[in-house]
Amino acid sequence: MEKASHLSVIVDLSPTQWHLSAQASNQYPLSIETFLSQLLAFLNAHIASKHENTLVVFGALPGKSVMLYSSTELLTDDMPPLDANSYLPFKLVDSTVVRKIMDELDAIGKLEEEPPCALVGAVTKALCYINRITHHSSTTTGVAEDPTTLHDPRILILSVSPDLSSSYIPIMNAIFSAQKLKVTIDVCKVYGPDTVFLQQAAHLTDGSYIYLERRDALLQNLIMSFLSPPFIRKILAVPKQDKIDFRAACFCHKNIVDVGFVCSVCLSIFCQPLPVCSTCRTKFPINTLKRLNAARPAITPANSRMGVPLANLNNAATPRSTSTPVPNGMSNLR
Amino acid sequence: MPVQSLQNTDVILPQHTPHPLLPFLQSQSQNTLTRLYQRPSSCLSIFRLLGPIERQLIMNLLWLESAIPAATMSAWVMPEGKQAYDEALAVMAGLHIAPNSTVKLALNPTFKSSLRQAITGGGNTGSFGTPADKDYKRQSANIENLDAYALERWETILHYMVSSGQGQNPAKPSQGVLYLLQRSGLMNTAHGAILQITSSGFQFLLHSPHDQLWNLLLQYLHMAEERQMDLVEVLSFLFMLSTMDLGREYSTEPLSETQKAMLEDLRDYGLVWQRKASSKRFSPTRLATTLTSSSPPLPSSHSTGGSRAADATGTVALSSGAAQQGFIVLETNYRIYAYTDNPLQTAVLNLFITMKYRFPNLVVGMLTRESVRKALSNGISAEQIISYLTTHAHPQMRKNNPLLPVTVQDQIRLWELERNRLKSAEGYLYKDFASQADYEYVLAYAKQLDVVLWESAIKRCFFGTLEGHSNVRGFIERRTGAA
Amino acid sequence: MAPRNQDGNFMDVDSDSDISLLGDVEHRGKGKGKGKATDKRKKDKGKAKAKEQAYTWEASYTRSWDTVQEDEAGSLQGAVEDLMARGRRRRLLAPAAAIRRTIIRHLVLLLDLSAAMMDRDMRPTRFDLMLQYAREFVVEWFDQNPLGQIGVVGMRAGIGERIGEMSGNPQDVLKYLSDRSRLEPTGEPSLQNAIEMARSSMSHLPTHSSREILIIFGSLTTCDPGNIHDTLDACVKNKIRISVVALAAEMKICRNLCDKTGGQFGVAMNEGHFKDILFELVPPPAQRAVARTGGPGASNPAADLMMMGFPTRLPDSSPPSLCACHSDMKSEGFLCPRCMAKVCDVPTDCDICGLMIVSSPHLARSYHHLFPVKPYEAVRSMDGISEPVTACHACARVFSITASTAVASEGVSPWGRYRCPDCHNDFCAECDVFVHDVIHCCPGCGK
Repeated sequence: MEKASHLSVIVDLSPTQWHLSAQASNQYPLSIETFLSQLLAFLNAHIASKHENTLVVFGALPGKSVMLYSSTELLTDDMPPLDANSYLPFKLVDSTVVRKIMDELDAIGKLEEEPPCALVGAVTKALCYINRITHHSSTTTGVAEDPTTLHDPRILILSVSPDLSSSYIPIMNAIFSAQKLKVTIDVCKVYGPDTVFLQQAAHLTDGSYIYLERRDALLQNLIMSFLSPPFIRKILAVPKQDKIDFRAACFCHKNIVDVGFVCSVCLSIFCQPLPVCSTCRTKFPINTLKRLNAARPAITPANSRMGVPLANLNNAATPRSTSTPVPNGMSNLR
Repeated sequence: MPVQSLQNTDVILPQHTPHPLLPFLQSQSQNTLTRLYQRPSSCLSIFRLLGPIERQLIMNLLWLESAIPAATMSAWVMPEGKQAYDEALAVMAGLHIAPNSTVKLALNPTFKSSLRQAITGGGNTGSFGTPADKDYKRQSANIENLDAYALERWETILHYMVSSGQGQNPAKPSQGVLYLLQRSGLMNTAHGAILQITSSGFQFLLHSPHDQLWNLLLQYLHMAEERQMDLVEVLSFLFMLSTMDLGREYSTEPLSETQKAMLEDLRDYGLVWQRKASSKRFSPTRLATTLTSSSPPLPSSHSTGGSRAADATGTVALSSGAAQQGFIVLETNYRIYAYTDNPLQTAVLNLFITMKYRFPNLVVGMLTRESVRKALSNGISAEQIISYLTTHAHPQMRKNNPLLPVTVQDQIRLWELERNRLKSAEGYLYKDFASQADYEYVLAYAKQLDVVLWESAIKRCFFGTLEGHSNVRGFIERRTGAA
Repeated sequence: MAPRNQDGNFMDVDSDSDISLLGDVEHRGKGKGKGKATDKRKKDKGKAKAKEQAYTWEASYTRSWDTVQEDEAGSLQGAVEDLMARGRRRRLLAPAAAIRRTIIRHLVLLLDLSAAMMDRDMRPTRFDLMLQYAREFVVEWFDQNPLGQIGVVGMRAGIGERIGEMSGNPQDVLKYLSDRSRLEPTGEPSLQNAIEMARSSMSHLPTHSSREILIIFGSLTTCDPGNIHDTLDACVKNKIRISVVALAAEMKICRNLCDKTGGQFGVAMNEGHFKDILFELVPPPAQRAVARTGGPGASNPAADLMMMGFPTRLPDSSPPSLCACHSDMKSEGFLCPRCMAKVCDVPTDCDICGLMIVSSPHLARSYHHLFPVKPYEAVRSMDGISEPVTACHACARVFSITASTAVASEGVSPWGRYRCPDCHNDFCAECDVFVHDVIHCCPGCGK
């Protein structure tokens, strides 16, 4: 019997990035309104595929993450009125998600400065949720569930923000726990530069990472690439990413580096030779330092290959406190 | 990816048997189907009945404005999935969802616009059922009541079937149901005027509730065809029910005459609840709202597909306290312990076991040669017994691998084989060959064709199947002609 | 009682827990003569068995149900919660010191595939048990030695048989060990042949990396073509450390192999003990040396800073080009970040510029040890909170409104709420365990 699949969608709702994305100077400007309407169609398509499919939507907002919708957690007073022309579950998703996003964005509008998006929080919540539903079935029956009856959990991250290098370790931890839970992480990069960490996330969990080039074809891309559960992907292929960047963030300056200095005791990564490991307080031999410092100039020119995009990444990662123009844009949604 | 390479590389698809309704739909004319596709709810329900690959293909095509070259789509197909892909396209062509074409792929425009409408909402077809106005005087039926009602209806039917031959007098279902049972060949009146369960009826009892329901509905559809009812109306009403929300009341006003007539029948099957026959409102039961889901959260004691049933309502409302996944423990000594207090389940078990003891919540019995042979002579096959025991195995049993003791499985099959010691086959006996060489030459040819059923070198003769006769005869004639 | 974690369907939340350095180190009495296992590092629950119950055949029937206590109402809820509370307390006591990881470790797993492995003195058979434990061992080993490599050699029918090449990918190694039918035991084992094969596969390795052989040996004989002591001397010369886990009894030659090369020798008394002595070999040898001389943080001659490059992986669909290591035409591969040469696999040293190339996720696998999530505090009382949150912050499970009265033990919240000391969000008990054992990242504060 074909099993139901579970999908957790994580939407990156960084107002700044969405504002930039909607600007007409882009080749394919995409505003959050259009994005949401296409996303909702995608969510409905997931529910439509199977009666038992479950869906959870998380929002990664500046500084916090919220659950926007859960198909198992329905509050009865949320029920929209019945309507002869639409299927109730679809309507429920649409209205709940839109209402929650509006509430949250309204709350943000009052903030002076925009903290970075809590993508990690959203991913870990999604994992906790998946852990709960996959374990739920086994605890109620009191035995190990037949593996064939388990859900087929997936996480889809719709990202617009660049890499947040300070969250390197938490995000890697989240990826490894997804690997353990056999959760596939798909990533759709809707706007902004490629993110190294999310590329690795998709690669390590056997998901696909797609950089959306034709942003006017968002819905078609979502459906072609992310709607199918893993077993269908063995028949109808989905695009995967091409290059995977295995760069890591250093512990000292949170730079994303391609050549780093690694402490042999705790494996901490540093972007320059240090006399003492800042993590485990191990002292390094002096001649090693000398040798490495001597070797360093040799790598600097090679490093410049990555130099330009790196600078951009770091700039973009720091929140821009100049304006928070998006709440105005968002008010059209209502 | 290393993860993938660890798993078996060949494609393991969950076994997907096409839904029983699909062949029926495929046998309908394009005109009928196109009329059906005008309703978003029907499109959505049919979409759900399709296999996973078909669904993905439809979704891929749904938002395209123009047809795409078939080669573009097939470029995405993995080599090992080619067959599954072709089969999926054939199904879609048969349903006139995507016309068969080797050049271009596109969805039927009616289907496309309706499914789009279903997913995005809007339009004014009203195909998802018009809700009734809130009735402040009377409280509408709550979900437990609906479940209890559906269960009671459904078990009445099954119980009637199972006990029909045993001189008991269970509650009789309504005339309409009896007629349907008779029409579908599940019961007949062979011995006098009393309805007797047939061998297909016995088989029916061992099916999953979901299969049983669709089986009956299919019969109903066939009957509707003969009764000159408009099939589009009948089907779309069923599909509408399947997209309705459990525990709500809907108005009968917008229904057509045919559909209003159907209400009565569906009430008898337990799909729909009405306060009274003349009521202007109705509520679908869980039987109806889960029509298009594959794992059946039937409101019954059989099984509740865990999460979903709990999702919709927050509670799993069940009768008779046997809410577990399964209730049967089978031991290697052929003993069966069934933790159930449900008379229907006991009766079904009684079809193939010898009862030993009965306690309020436990039935103990044995699988014996006699009991299994009795079942076999009733037309139940060994495989059906085994699959029934498998699907209803107690959670504790699920720790075993294999689930059922191999000895018992084999013995059940052996008991079945016992009955089949003689096999008849039509064919021709070839004898009186002139020489041993001739005989061997012809025999070798016949063996090549794989048509030899029996041979005896001593008697210099062999027996071939009917299909192979013309070839073998031609061969002999050519040979004698040549010699 | 069955060894723990036999049930593969449950996610193994313990699989990455550490062997604590400062944890209880016990000395086993040597009265039994046979099992001279030395320091026994107790990992966690279920291991205590090995101590009380000596030989499998001496043990009385374990009545697992007797250890479970029902409460007055006949419910097991109390017992279950007590177990959970114990788990929590164990975690709170866990040491917070940094744990040393080796960078490069090479291990050849030598499996006895002789007819002696079909003996049923360990359930189901020695062979099946060995495979099962070997798989668990590999997972645990890679967790703790992220940049190590394991090769597998079998000994059967008098010869050594290469089952799997050295690989740094746990999935590869698990695949070697998963095909039971290919490993069917037969014939006599040959220690010498197998050790020679393992030695030759490690001979090319650079001298600064550790080379180890781990032998799981079930037979009491070995059938060798030459003098095994010559092989032993060669191993000593090549600095190969040999450890043996014997399943039957102690053999002089095995003991010699271990003593001369500095490895460990142990005879498994029962299933649980087998696993214990096998898993004692997971932590790298150097780590133990460090632990004895005053723990990490003390000056450590082995500690060093190394320069490493993080490559870019090319997809299967990229235009094919020659790789620097084998000069093969290939489309997939990894680009050295310094000289842009293409290599086939990581971790490796770049053949052109000599930079050590590693995949950063390999390193990151151990970071959760460095920055553990702070233990959540059990919410003891709901007084003074006017509007408590209704659901778990992580999984949105709704909290119960009434306090449970059955539990009174420490570390358990009667409300089923556990609060992060940093972000002050409430989590349910299941998420508490999951966050600390698996995710290692608090969903509330994101670190």
